[in-house]
Amino acid sequence: MSIWNYVVTAHKPTAVFHSCVGNFTSPQDLNLIIAKCTRIEIHLLTPQGLQPMLDVPIYGRIATVELFRPHGEAQDFLFIATERYKFCVLQWDPETSELITRAMGDVSDRIGRPSDNGQIGIIDPDCRLIGLHLYDGLFKVIPFDSRGQLKEAFNIRLEELQVLDIKFLYGCPKPTIVVLYQDNKDARHVKTYEVALKDKDFVEGPWSQNNLDNGAEILIPVPPPLCGVLIIGEETIVYCSANAFKAIPIKQSNTRAYGRIDPDGSRYLLGDITGLLSLLVITHEREKVTGLKIETLGETSIPSTISYLDNAFVYIGSSVGDSQLIKLNLQPDARGSYVEVLERYVNLGPIVDLCVVDLERQGQGQVVTCSGAFKDGSLRIVRNGIGINEQASVELQGIKGMWSLRSSTDDPFDTFLVVSFISETRILAMNLEDELEETEIEGFNSQVQTLFCHDAIHNQLVQVTSSTVRLVSSTTRELRHEWHAPSGYSVNVATANATQVLLATGGGHLVYLEIGDGILTEIKHAQLDNEISCLDINPIGENPNYSHLAVVGMWTDISVKIFSLPDLNLITQEHLGGEIIPRSVLLCTFEGISYLLCALGDGHLINFLLNTSTGELADRKKVSLGTQPITLRTFSSKSATHVFAASDRPTVIYSSNKKLLYSNVNLKEVSHMCPFNSAAFPDSLAIAKEGELTIGTIDDIQKLHIRSIPLGEHARRICHQEQSRTFGIICLKYNQTSTEESEMHFVRLLDDQTFECVSSCQLDAFEHACSIISCSFSDDNNVYYCVGTAYVLPEESEPTKGRILVFIVEDGKLQLIAEKETKGAVYSLNAFNGKLLAAINQKIQLYKWMLRDDGTRELQSECGHHGHILALYVQTRGDFIIVGDLMKSISLLIYKHEEGAIEERARDYNANWMSAVEILDDDIYLGAENYYNLFTVRKNSEGATDEERGRLEVVGEYHLGEFVNRFRHGSLVMRLPDSEVGQIPTVIFGTINGVIGVIASLPHEQYVFLEKLQSNLRKVIKGVGGLSHEQWRSFNSEKRQVDARNFLDGDLIESFLDLNRSKMDEISKAMSVSVEELCKRVEELTRLH
Amino acid sequence: MWKQIRDREEGKIRPQSFAHRFKSNRIAQLQLSNYKDIVSPHKGAVNSLQIDLTEGRYLLSAASDASLAIYDVQRAADYEAGGLISKHKCIFSVDKQHDLGHKHAISSAIWYPVDTGLFITGSYDHHINVWDTNTTQVVMNFKMPGKVYRTAMSSLATSHMLIAAGTEDVQVRLCDIASGASTHTLSGHRDGVMTAEWSTSNEWVLVTGGCDGAIRFWDIRRAGCFLVLNQSSTQLGRRPPVLKRSMITKNLGIKPHAGQRKLSNGSGSRELPIGKVSAKGPMKQRSHPGMLSTQDRATAHYGAVTGLKVTEDGMYLLSAGSDSRLRLWDVESGCNTLVNFETVRLQTHKPIQLATTQDSTLVFVPCMRSVKSFNMWSGNTYATFRGHYECVNSCWFNEQDQELYTGGNDRQILVWSPPRLIDDETNGQSVEDRDNWSD
Repeated sequence: MSIWNYVVTAHKPTAVFHSCVGNFTSPQDLNLIIAKCTRIEIHLLTPQGLQPMLDVPIYGRIATVELFRPHGEAQDFLFIATERYKFCVLQWDPETSELITRAMGDVSDRIGRPSDNGQIGIIDPDCRLIGLHLYDGLFKVIPFDSRGQLKEAFNIRLEELQVLDIKFLYGCPKPTIVVLYQDNKDARHVKTYEVALKDKDFVEGPWSQNNLDNGAEILIPVPPPLCGVLIIGEETIVYCSANAFKAIPIKQSNTRAYGRIDPDGSRYLLGDITGLLSLLVITHEREKVTGLKIETLGETSIPSTISYLDNAFVYIGSSVGDSQLIKLNLQPDARGSYVEVLERYVNLGPIVDLCVVDLERQGQGQVVTCSGAFKDGSLRIVRNGIGINEQASVELQGIKGMWSLRSSTDDPFDTFLVVSFISETRILAMNLEDELEETEIEGFNSQVQTLFCHDAIHNQLVQVTSSTVRLVSSTTRELRHEWHAPSGYSVNVATANATQVLLATGGGHLVYLEIGDGILTEIKHAQLDNEISCLDINPIGENPNYSHLAVVGMWTDISVKIFSLPDLNLITQEHLGGEIIPRSVLLCTFEGISYLLCALGDGHLINFLLNTSTGELADRKKVSLGTQPITLRTFSSKSATHVFAASDRPTVIYSSNKKLLYSNVNLKEVSHMCPFNSAAFPDSLAIAKEGELTIGTIDDIQKLHIRSIPLGEHARRICHQEQSRTFGIICLKYNQTSTEESEMHFVRLLDDQTFECVSSCQLDAFEHACSIISCSFSDDNNVYYCVGTAYVLPEESEPTKGRILVFIVEDGKLQLIAEKETKGAVYSLNAFNGKLLAAINQKIQLYKWMLRDDGTRELQSECGHHGHILALYVQTRGDFIIVGDLMKSISLLIYKHEEGAIEERARDYNANWMSAVEILDDDIYLGAENYYNLFTVRKNSEGATDEERGRLEVVGEYHLGEFVNRFRHGSLVMRLPDSEVGQIPTVIFGTINGVIGVIASLPHEQYVFLEKLQSNLRKVIKGVGGLSHEQWRSFNSEKRQVDARNFLDGDLIESFLDLNRSKMDEISKAMSVSVEELCKRVEELTRLH
Repeated sequence: MWKQIRDREEGKIRPQSFAHRFKSNRIAQLQLSNYKDIVSPHKGAVNSLQIDLTEGRYLLSAASDASLAIYDVQRAADYEAGGLISKHKCIFSVDKQHDLGHKHAISSAIWYPVDTGLFITGSYDHHINVWDTNTTQVVMNFKMPGKVYRTAMSSLATSHMLIAAGTEDVQVRLCDIASGASTHTLSGHRDGVMTAEWSTSNEWVLVTGGCDGAIRFWDIRRAGCFLVLNQSSTQLGRRPPVLKRSMITKNLGIKPHAGQRKLSNGSGSRELPIGKVSAKGPMKQRSHPGMLSTQDRATAHYGAVTGLKVTEDGMYLLSAGSDSRLRLWDVESGCNTLVNFETVRLQTHKPIQLATTQDSTLVFVPCMRSVKSFNMWSGNTYATFRGHYECVNSCWFNEQDQELYTGGNDRQILVWSPPRLIDDETNGQSVEDRDNWSD
């Protein structure tokens, strides 16, 4: 790999931290705004559910999101503040359906210490000011003027240091905040302050309340007429205002989120850490609060935000499980729950570990993640491409073509499946038992190979063979008319639609027939210069049964020609270049745009934009789909048209955002495909592959596919063992009894196909599993699972005891073979030169696998290396070991065989707090650190001095904006050996927000080119809210801020393809590279993930 | 700690507070280091210690025998006790023998804040030297009118390269590295200036403490000082008290405007800080030279001000005086916060170098032969570090590794660090011994 890296998101963040509801896109629309860390999604509430309207990236980690309505406005504005102290106010532009920036600014300060409890951003209900708590001891105020514009911000000193929550109170003549804080004796209190805007200071507030519940963490301001505030604790809920104080005890619970139901603030939804949803009611007589009531409604995902939408619909946003759209029913169901889950939105976060495996052994990686937390823990299998779910299959050798036919023109379902072989044609149909059974259509000639079949109008079917075209009634199944090829000529290729037939015979003759009721009429005949290789008359005009255009692919001069129908006049001719003939052409329309697709014999596909009225071709693009000839077929799924390209790498071509996308199908080699929508197998495809005919349904057409394996417990580490075809995972189960919560830790063995737990081993009390690997040792042919643990005793701040357990899988069971006690937590395990390398607290320790006299085995310590604060992350390559330390960045160690010792070779002297490390190649190492940055360091073995050789030089820096928990070498896509992209090494990473990303090492030439493209894109693509991309990607930690270098933002670069033509032209001009070339190079990159 | 690593992985605690908790935890365990030793080459009292601000790697020390030395505190020259104890010898040292070396005691040695290519020393021989680290040569020299007590450079500065010097003289001098000349003097102190510190929030603001017991705040772009701290102007807590709501509280909704406005006026006439230090941009116009002479004569300590330290967040200032008091000041209001630090005795005749942790919860103070850490807001003693045989002059807290470096009249430089668990039984004993010895 190289130091020039390209970082791109394969799976966007899905963990939801904030949401709010309001009239954002128009005064009548009810919108749900969802913040997913670095993205904002805007949804519209419709009777059908949530309809996405916009999903945009934000150049920052979103700290707070609020909707507010300035005086005199009919709809809401959106206020966003980012963790790097930028804020913006956004408004919806109904014309362009984009966001307009109303205001933006920087609210960072030189004074103050960033608040540990997170940033708070609130807006006065009467829209007089925005309040921000960003630094301990300071409250920042951005006042609004009378016209709703923001004025200059100022700070007010806040006595309270440990602020837990701040909210504005409703119904106060002066803007008033209520502060929930903890004092230095850990007691919690609330206090109110009035904000005196003129004096830029606080005035003592109307009331305060001391000594609250020790778990109080959330304040809920109550709107008029009641006003006041609710304080949600672990054991009590308190209502507090200037003249009332009501409290109720609750069952011990840790409330995570709330949502207000009524505008008058009398009912609230509360969600706790176990996913229990409760209803809190403030009972009142007129404006006097008389008490509080709480009732449990049911179970949801563990929420981080709750938004009550309308009519008992509630959005539950979660960061540790799937987000949900739920409905609250008036009556409980059989299990006593009022909650009905209507929809789940997949969330991979937090990805604490992942592994890359190739379960289907197709040369394509799949990622298995440990996702979720608490009860929402799960494994997720993420794979690129579209899956075919096999429904039925028959063994059939030598299939040359397949078509499905209906028994009558208005039948919604297909009945017959015509399968053509080299010297016969067989017809399959669904029988009454819903089985495929061979049948006959009397009018068809089944003694020869069929070249083409199609349904025709007037309840007819058409069959083309090498000598004739037969028109058959689909009701009587008898031959109605036949057209014979002139003697001496045989039909080579043919195509048809419901009313037209086009065929080509040897010698370059093109014959056009039209289908009438019981009659085939030869309308036109033309002779071309060369032999015809393929043709298509798929109707793409207004009439679904008739095409005005015919496209023909030619031998010899390697071209495609477009003819008008019915007169067969040549309209357009396009030479394809090269020496590979077109093997399949197709006219099709995606999202209202017409294309001509032309597949070549070497697996390349050329697509053109087609002007249907003039027949002109434009915008030629070439992509490589495989290495074998491709056959193109259209099919529809979920009422959209897609194209199936059958070849050695079957691909589905579809369109999204008016952009053609290619997604591979998880099948090895497909020779033919046809849609087969029968009553028994609705929306299915018939697929011919390797001597087999398969009927299957297709997954949703999208790039990444995610399968969930709910565990009900929290998986923390995963590894795969090829030999036993199992996954080893370590996980923990929370047991919450009424008084205390406890954890149980397990090592579990999962079958790698079914993901069923086949064996498990419970660890000791207080023993936590920390790491797991599958490895083998020198002089031993067995493969083992090694598990590192720690005894976490309540009285110890740092574990001083742990174990390494060695398991073997026998008969699908985990058998403990050996164990070794360690003097601390085993944070990491690695297979190393046939030995086991463990990171134990501050030490790196190498163990040998020794044979004892009695034939049993044991781990014996060989050597070690001190000198780390905590050696958390370790990777090895050959004799080199790199260690990611808790706070001392990366160090490089080497194992010396002769001396049997581990020594430090070099180190990065920056104070990076690490979260993951990986070795890119012999000299370059990749690290992710605590403040969401990535960096690369390089070994400097040629340095002139000891000092230079002992220093890992930082060569790349980048702000990812995501907390990376794990890097793994591997790829989500098939590696085609012949494509350029196939040579680029990649690393996959997983983050807390559920992002799966790819880091690709580019050749220098490509890096330079893309860097130039990136800097041009920065000028053209403006960040939402006016946020700067350059600033966002600059490396930023507590102490240091430097510009990004040697890393490129693939998300920005790939957004080039979403630009409109004029902007593309602008960039093309600045780069002096043609738009086509730019598109081609960027499209190539999109195939990395 | 293991649980916190797990919680960070799951996103349960934010990375920033993870780092903060880990640091606090480690700082709470500070003790005489069982794995790091500095081999001091000094033959006189160690007066000044500083680790460079860019890499956190090179320690600069200066002593009364006119010697100075630089150590690599990250990479050891040598190991003892089977590789468990690292010995950090100086990379180089300079003493009187050096052609351009100081002739008398060096009172202050600081790094150039931008990189480790330069460092600055101030000496009792009336000179300030600017050294090139790589060649060990003096590249610039400033002559002062008297003994130099303290030199300081702003770590924030992007538009100036000034060394502020406190000397026997009543005037504070600013020496410009860019031009090699002493640019201007700041007059106001009535006696020598023992200590000087730049603000951590504004590159133009300098704080000086004099033998006259005064602490003065200067905006170096303007003449005169804009704030003199007065020990008798006080506030309880972190900010001046919030304005009371007076009598109108009961019928809040009824008499809003008139009453409120009155309040505002009251607040306006309240004793506002004489100079508010705004966070960014040019400072607001302020009226200071007409400062009442009583204000100008205010003192922060009885006797000399011997040490100053601005907290990392820029909001508070700690001062030590020869009256053996430690005071915590609110920079914005200029008030003494009345935190009662349990100091016993401080050195009186020599400047002392204080240190704070980054989160401003602890302050490290040389208290005669020991160093004490105090809780910043309660003033309670948090820990006492006993190890030096004679008076301690300076401490430096290395935030990056959570280590405390102290230097004293016993010519030693001691390292205080979180203990490292020693798991090899064979080596455990010797380390134990060392610990006992340090008590």
